[in-house]
Amino acid sequence: MARPILMPQVGQDLTEGKLVTLKVKVGDKVKKGDIVAEVESEKATFDVESFETGTILEIRHKEGDTATVLQPLMLVGDEGEKLVLPATETVAAATPASASMNVSVAGSSGVSLPAAPGAGRSSPLARRLASEAGLDIRQIPGTGPGGAVVMKDVESYRHTAPGEARVLNFPSATSSAAGGAQGIKSLQPGEGDPVLFIHGFGADLSSWRPFVLLMNVKNPLLALDLPGHGISQAATASSFDGIVSHVRSQLEAAGLTRLHLIGHSLGAAVATELAGGGTLDVRSLTLMSPAGLGPKVNGDFVEGFLSARTEAPLRAWLDVLVHDAAKLPGALLRATLAGRDGTSLAAQQARIAGAVFAGSTQLFSIRHALQRYEGPVRMIVGMNDHIIPPDNTVALPAHVAVHRLPQVGHLPQLEAAPLVARLASENVRSAG
Amino acid sequence: MTREIMYRDALREAIDEEMAANPLVFIIGEGIAERGGSYKVTEGLLTKYGAKRVRDTPIAEAGMIGVGVGAAIAGARPIVEILYVDFAMLGMDMLVNQAAKFRLMTGGNGRVPFIMRTQGGTGGGVAAQHSQSLEALFYHIPGLKVVMPSQPADAKGLLKFALRQEDPVIFLEHKHLYMTKGPVPEGEYVIEFGKADIKRPGKDVTLIAWSNMVPRALEAAAKLAEEGIEVEVIDPRTLVPLDKEAILASVAKTNRVVIVQEAVRRGGVASDIASIIQEEAFYSLDAPIEIVAGLNIPIPFNLELEKASVPQVPDIMSAVRRTLHLQPRAIAAQ
Repeated sequence: MARPILMPQVGQDLTEGKLVTLKVKVGDKVKKGDIVAEVESEKATFDVESFETGTILEIRHKEGDTATVLQPLMLVGDEGEKLVLPATETVAAATPASASMNVSVAGSSGVSLPAAPGAGRSSPLARRLASEAGLDIRQIPGTGPGGAVVMKDVESYRHTAPGEARVLNFPSATSSAAGGAQGIKSLQPGEGDPVLFIHGFGADLSSWRPFVLLMNVKNPLLALDLPGHGISQAATASSFDGIVSHVRSQLEAAGLTRLHLIGHSLGAAVATELAGGGTLDVRSLTLMSPAGLGPKVNGDFVEGFLSARTEAPLRAWLDVLVHDAAKLPGALLRATLAGRDGTSLAAQQARIAGAVFAGSTQLFSIRHALQRYEGPVRMIVGMNDHIIPPDNTVALPAHVAVHRLPQVGHLPQLEAAPLVARLASENVRSAG
Repeated sequence: MTREIMYRDALREAIDEEMAANPLVFIIGEGIAERGGSYKVTEGLLTKYGAKRVRDTPIAEAGMIGVGVGAAIAGARPIVEILYVDFAMLGMDMLVNQAAKFRLMTGGNGRVPFIMRTQGGTGGGVAAQHSQSLEALFYHIPGLKVVMPSQPADAKGLLKFALRQEDPVIFLEHKHLYMTKGPVPEGEYVIEFGKADIKRPGKDVTLIAWSNMVPRALEAAAKLAEEGIEVEVIDPRTLVPLDKEAILASVAKTNRVVIVQEAVRRGGVASDIASIIQEEAFYSLDAPIEIVAGLNIPIPFNLELEKASVPQVPDIMSAVRRTLHLQPRAIAAQ
């Protein structure tokens, strides 16, 4: 079955990039690791690797096109394989070249192409926008007459604001440097209590984008940027408690009082502190490689990661994050460097690091908060984590479920994404 | 500098200024000379320009239109005032088969700078033979220009332009508009044909209206603004030539269109504009194009029924909300 090669996430929360060079054509054979295209963001050029071995069945864009991140650039499958096209063509009738846009692709999960369900109603504009964004119109929930997909549905599916505005009322005008709702974005609209993702040190909210495609929940999915990171990079904090209170005020400004929390590393520690702090109604808590459970942290990594200014040293340190270095997307490296280029990002993050770590020591503990939290809590750690040793996760409160994943490093959400998404989704759903 | 004057005064200024500037301009019609016209558009012109250039006619529309078309072919610049557009039907052969065709059939050597000024639309219970909106009949005929001003400034500028160009013009006023006031620039100006006017800018829905539907569209837009809906009201001002570009630019911005016409729905200009939009801006549309039009009936005499037979402000507001998917297309029976 055909699988997509996606347009990589080319920079800090960018939604699209330009396809500069195609290195393959339809019919070419590729193997895992081959470079199939070159794409660029505003700041840098990235190679696109094939994560599949097979034959290029279809290429969705031509050189010079703008492509939406995490949407298919091309499809790889078995030689001679027929792509399944929907029975009812909508837009495609007038423009045969765009017919392929209606091929249904289920995100980056490597899920195979399903047979097309009957296409629902949609406005011409919605179809055009979906087609331009490489989205399958049938995946988009419609709110127009008779459930028709209209412009705002495509936009809320693609972006954030309109969708989240339906679910949550963000008083964005009132947010300020002191916190506010600025650092919170919707990754996917939905219904019910929102699920908030909190990234780890050195990442940003866009790092969740590939992962959320694998989540199997109906809830709206939100993410925030910690102070010193992403769109909150101008904000700072002088202690772990400072980070927590910054996030708390972001949530207050957004009117978020009842939610699920999913965090990674430092973000998991922040999530735990919020959950155990009593002021929020946290429905469930999912912690990936959490910080704050013991004193040890890989201080060399923190220092090396922050001081790397070129590809080679950064690559060397990023490799430490994972068990299998081949699983690190090449784009991460370039995106990290591009994000630092000409900004004070690294300096801001060094300040945050100084607030929470002293060399190889974590200056805070979440054990009390974890003990106090009474909702469902799952912890997912990699047995080969070289950043925060997995033996920190011993002697946990008895209500905490721990999943220890072999041959996984500090990024279980990357290295064991389908399993971690399944566990996280189950935890969210368990809270009703 | 501008001043507030009535639509009828703006029309009179246009005729007066052009008669003063060009001795070939003359006007004929029923009761237009000594009486000054049923709507007082030509009041005072007889004294100023004399009986040769401001001339009363018998009640004989076929003859009047024939005289006008012939005089235009011969080189004069006639204005023929027909009291009701309904009566222009008597002169249709002169308009459709002669005036509209002459330029083409003479290889461009013959021109027909003829203007038929008349008025249409409902208002005041004057019943089925005095209330029609017949622009579609003229719109349909290649060779005729169709002008439908909604405001005094447009009326003056367009009529002056009509008197300076070389083709037959059907200049359709509205009986409801003669007494309406609006700002009109001081001094000399003309308004070219084929230039739509944005009567109110907005970003949510494009509302296209002409003649007496413009004030209703503006009223609907003002009320919808209170609901947070920003309607862009576009007045094409001339239906032939039609400012397609202005309409398409607005649609590209708003993705939604409502077209309002007082004329009956069937075979109307609104349908033709809708067809242009769907053809050229299909992939900009986020909702079906809505047409708010008169019912497919002769206009009733009864005032309440007359009102019910043509678009009113709430009808326009509902159509706008439907294009925003805020209101269902039909209300289900209880």
